[in-house]
Amino acid sequence: MFSSQARKIADACRFCWMCRHICPVGLVSCKEGNTPRGRALLLSLDTRGTSLTPDAYELMFQCALCNACSHDCATGFEPPVFIREARVEAIVNDVVPEAVKPVLERAMDGSISGLPVNNEVKEAMKKYHQKADILLYLGDSAKTNGSKSALALINILKKANVSFMMLEDEPDSGAHLYDLMGNTADVQNTAKECLNRIREAGAKTIVPIDPTYSRFFKHQCNEWGLMDGLKVVTATAFVAELIAEGKLKVEKQNIAATFHDPCRLSRDLEETEPARAILAAMGIELQEMFLNRGLTKCCGGAVLKETYPKLAGDMTKARWDEAKTTGANLLITACPCCAVNFSAYTPENMETTDIFVLLDSACK
Amino acid sequence: MQFKEFMINMIQSELEDVVGQQNVSVLEADKLTYGVDYFWVGRMWADKGRVPPKPDFIVMPGSAEEVSKILKIANYYKIPVHTWGGGSGSQGSALPMAGGIILDTKRMNKLLDLNECSRTISAETGMIFQNLEWHANQRGYSVMHIPSCLTCGTIGGALAHRGIGIMSTKYGKIDDQCLSMEVVLPNGDIINTLPVPKHAAGPDLNQIFIGSEGTLGVITKATFRLFEQPETRRFRAFLFKDFTTGIAACREMVQKIKPSILRLFDEAETVSIIKKIIGVEKPGAFMNLALEGYADMVDIEERIMFEVCNKYGAEDMGSEYGEKWYQNRITFFYPGHIMNNPQMFGTMDTVSTYENVEKIYWAMKKAVEQFKGVRFIAHCSHWYDWGTMIYDRFIMDEPPEDPEEAIRLHNKIWNAGVRAAMANGGVINDHHGIGLKLSRLMKEQYGGAMQVFEALKKSLDPAGIMNPYKLGL
Repeated sequence: MFSSQARKIADACRFCWMCRHICPVGLVSCKEGNTPRGRALLLSLDTRGTSLTPDAYELMFQCALCNACSHDCATGFEPPVFIREARVEAIVNDVVPEAVKPVLERAMDGSISGLPVNNEVKEAMKKYHQKADILLYLGDSAKTNGSKSALALINILKKANVSFMMLEDEPDSGAHLYDLMGNTADVQNTAKECLNRIREAGAKTIVPIDPTYSRFFKHQCNEWGLMDGLKVVTATAFVAELIAEGKLKVEKQNIAATFHDPCRLSRDLEETEPARAILAAMGIELQEMFLNRGLTKCCGGAVLKETYPKLAGDMTKARWDEAKTTGANLLITACPCCAVNFSAYTPENMETTDIFVLLDSACK
Repeated sequence: MQFKEFMINMIQSELEDVVGQQNVSVLEADKLTYGVDYFWVGRMWADKGRVPPKPDFIVMPGSAEEVSKILKIANYYKIPVHTWGGGSGSQGSALPMAGGIILDTKRMNKLLDLNECSRTISAETGMIFQNLEWHANQRGYSVMHIPSCLTCGTIGGALAHRGIGIMSTKYGKIDDQCLSMEVVLPNGDIINTLPVPKHAAGPDLNQIFIGSEGTLGVITKATFRLFEQPETRRFRAFLFKDFTTGIAACREMVQKIKPSILRLFDEAETVSIIKKIIGVEKPGAFMNLALEGYADMVDIEERIMFEVCNKYGAEDMGSEYGEKWYQNRITFFYPGHIMNNPQMFGTMDTVSTYENVEKIYWAMKKAVEQFKGVRFIAHCSHWYDWGTMIYDRFIMDEPPEDPEEAIRLHNKIWNAGVRAAMANGGVINDHHGIGLKLSRLMKEQYGGAMQVFEALKKSLDPAGIMNPYKLGL
């Protein structure tokens, strides 16, 4: 059953095309069904007697949940609300698309990618498990295919003499499950268990390296009343503060680059300047993409990359095309998952790196 | 369309051979999303639980060459082809009323050229217009085509419906802004209009295809004029004692100077929409404008603006309301502000010379308000030396419950309003197009001249596959 809020939003969006120019999925697939209006129309038809078909549910899972539509809406409607509920409905009605099923199973096991934890990261997690106020939360991507970012951030924290800890067998937060399953008891329980473990470990401040988790802890877990006694600071804000306090000695890099704002960071958390402060500290000549900060475009995300890799890959390539127009040969991002996505489709004569990998090499 | 046995599969595989399997869909959900555009009838129909009109195939070509091959297939099998851009048109032009193929152009979305010497920009026509504008903005220019559907319509959609933007009084309509086009004819031939629109080599081919609503071919590429961003843009708002005085003042103004934005609202719209969104509390006819360009020239235009507005006794409301309108220019069209079901509504935009404007306004108001429970609001938002358009809307809060009865009443109101405009020197439509909504009235508008369009249609599309039931063709 869809909530009245979801139905209200779908009814508002069903005849409104205003955000289609910014929907990164619709712009690459070019299908009407891959726009907030298309999905809202299908849901509104369902309310009025034309039931959602399995292929309609497929469209619901093809949304990147990047919130570009909500951010653009002049009257404040948020399509992801009904998208998430449609996903719950798909699970309840046993019509989860074939492409999503294995990813959902992996997510329930704690990792959407199902990749093994990187050995160096595993060692670091063992090494830094002693109690500290600051807890570095890595999450799925940074532990596996985005491990370069994690190892670089660990080095940076060491260089700044930060006392920090990690959980040796870091539990899943439920952030990706939330995107796949919506607001369900399973997701809330996963988040609750994770936060209890963090509390039991004695941490006071969580520093997630991946903005997806920062957003999940700060917004969703807070809304569910699970954050008691815990504070969340994004990794970029935390490191920018270390630089501002003079705890890191950063060598100037004589390079020009463009910066991709991760959508969770820039749109959901409205945090755009700490990353730029880090880049400025490295002396990087920033050549901004036209769509920057809150207007950033999702590069494919973590979940969509697993469920619909071709679609996510097309989104990454589209963002690369925008990066290329800046004239810079280097694209920097501030999210391990974004870094993995961009690496997979790096165009000729271009390079990509994570902000912490670059900073680590610039710090003595 | 009715396809016998496995014929639909045979055609599907031919289409897939042209554009790739991933760019052809016969899925039910996809079909439904192409069955509703901004046309009130389609929206009401869906909201009443009726199944929207559905295509048999959705095909997404990536180039003019692919469009050409699709049209050849469609011609061979005599399958209707409905070209779809953003689907945000209000006239039902893109709806697949005859089934067959929806040809979604949005994969054709590349920027082709930005020429700073000639100040032109060229792109494929499936690009969302906002994205074209952003490409221009990145280099310090603007196409200056800023309609309310900027973020949702495509380049092709604007061309196919002779669209207009809020800056039109200074920078022109889409038909003034477009220099040249590539068009795929119904037989699959790919043609180009001449490189420039000003010549003496016969009639302007651009103007045959601009406004043709997919009935004569598919526009696949277009080149537009580029404008420098103005050194200054100054906003102002005035309140006239009534609509009549406002029209006289605006006429005199645009015959002397060229504001980019000039919008005059009648008394009914001033006390409703303008009050709600802009916060103007006083009765009268609200007018907002923008003057732009080099500051020295704007100084002169501003002086003339004040002289004219003073002459007609307008109350100067300062720059704040003008700026506020500009900031909220598309807020008017978002859910919660724009008319929506269960209301019945429509925009009967017409255009005429100044001598007829008021006559048309009163005649349309009378014609529309004769229907019980219908109210009428209007504004004039695109001005020429010789005349202006009236963006008049009718609203009925409690239309008939029965959708078929509602359609009949809707069409009666439209017939009455548009015929009142035409009888008094107005034109059937200013900038939304004809589509399915006004198709039946095209012959009344053109009379004997309609044979020119009919001959073109017969010659270019003898099988009649291109967007049936639209544009009176």
